[in-house]
Amino acid sequence: MLNIQTRQEGNASVVTIQGKVNFEVTAQLRDAIRDTVTAHQPKLLVINLEGVSFIDSSGLGLLVAARNSVDKNNGKLHLCGLPTQVKKTFDQTNLTNYFSIFTTEQDALRGA
Amino acid sequence: MYKGLVLVVDDEPQIRDLLGFYLKRAGYQVMLAEHGREALRQMEKARPDLILSDLRMPELSGDEFCRMVKEDPATRDVYFVLVSAVEGMASRIGGLNLGADDMISKPFHAQEVVAKVESAFRTIGMQKEIKRQNQELARFRERITAELSLAARLQMGLLPALPGLAPGFRYTHRYLPAEGIGGDIYSILPTAEGGLALLLADVSGHGVTAALISAMVKTSFESHVRQSESPLVWAQGMNRDLARNTLSEQFATAFIAHIRPGGAMSYVMAGHEAPILLTQGAQGGLHQPHTLSGQGFMLGIEEDLPFEEKRAAFEPGDRLILFTDGLIEVAREDHGQLGHEGMARLCAELPGDQDAAADRLIRDAQAFIHPTAFTDDVTLVILDHL
Repeated sequence: MLNIQTRQEGNASVVTIQGKVNFEVTAQLRDAIRDTVTAHQPKLLVINLEGVSFIDSSGLGLLVAARNSVDKNNGKLHLCGLPTQVKKTFDQTNLTNYFSIFTTEQDALRGA
Repeated sequence: MYKGLVLVVDDEPQIRDLLGFYLKRAGYQVMLAEHGREALRQMEKARPDLILSDLRMPELSGDEFCRMVKEDPATRDVYFVLVSAVEGMASRIGGLNLGADDMISKPFHAQEVVAKVESAFRTIGMQKEIKRQNQELARFRERITAELSLAARLQMGLLPALPGLAPGFRYTHRYLPAEGIGGDIYSILPTAEGGLALLLADVSGHGVTAALISAMVKTSFESHVRQSESPLVWAQGMNRDLARNTLSEQFATAFIAHIRPGGAMSYVMAGHEAPILLTQGAQGGLHQPHTLSGQGFMLGIEEDLPFEEKRAAFEPGDRLILFTDGLIEVAREDHGQLGHEGMARLCAELPGDQDAAADRLIRDAQAFIHPTAFTDDVTLVILDHL
């Protein structure tokens, strides 16, 4: 089961994800992210992965697509709260160097 | 144009004629029968859409007749209305238990009967429509299943033929797509100077889309191998091909290697599970598994992302074990995963025979996640340098 919550913080949209991000739930997550980006056109999209226990390549694909769609609106995508397991997947795929990654949500929102 | 064919069965001629008259006036074609036996004879000539039958009749009574109609697969779907002089709930339930679709109690108004028949025909119409749609769906499913199995066979044909032999090398694979058809692909090509070009890739997602892209990945790999000797150049080319030709969420993890005849291997790790190297492991037995180092972007994210080429020795007598994440990333009920470390443990002691080794690894990985099963495409390749 995937739990997705979205909220607004000023000009930023925050998407908090909990659960396993795999092929079965990508459609659900894709819709949630697209709805937020369409509705608020955020300058900054923060995706909090603190509660994610596992992410597979379809999940990574979705995050890359999210970055592309935010880029098109001249916005930024910040990720935060990567658990060890997820961090390992990001390292393996070099995505640590592709995304702007922050430890805490506050840091991601401040967006240094 | 008639609304449908109604068979009226009653031993009283006045009732038969009365019902026949009203039903004809309402636009139905009508057949008449004196009792169940005669009704069955009539039904050999034409199959009615609806039967309106009295309960008490000589020769063959309404309840027996109803049972026979409902037991015969050829007539089971005919809408059956029992007309009964026996009043009360008990008789109604009794009639419906016989398989009758509805009941009318005597005495009745002819209009009431016609209204009931009209309503029954609306139900019949809906049932026919549902049946037609079901048949259409079944045909559609059959076609898709046939096409998928054809595509699956085609995809199997894209894999290197077994037993796998190239000058100086022997290899085998196990390929278990999650949905009959999958996004894993591998390719082994002997190169002009006597070495090998090697690819194992895993396209994100599974099913038909992933399978289509996997075929594209293989074609792209093979065309780049023909143009250069460097896996770095191959990876860059494949990345470009994939980034240009797929949607933004679709890409592939890949292990891409060039093995020279003497055993010098250069490779690019594109977000893929690192292969496990068993030095002098081709004969089987106990060995220290080495995980090939390196990390890198998946193929197809963006055109100009940088990749890195690494080197390792893969000498005669060595064994290389390649696999996709589907083999090791299944979560057990207790959330445990075999993971890379677990896979390395399984590789530490293997039979010399490649096929026995491959079967053992698949069996052990399955045993680890039991009773859960593989959920993603699984590919395992064992390559021995002879």
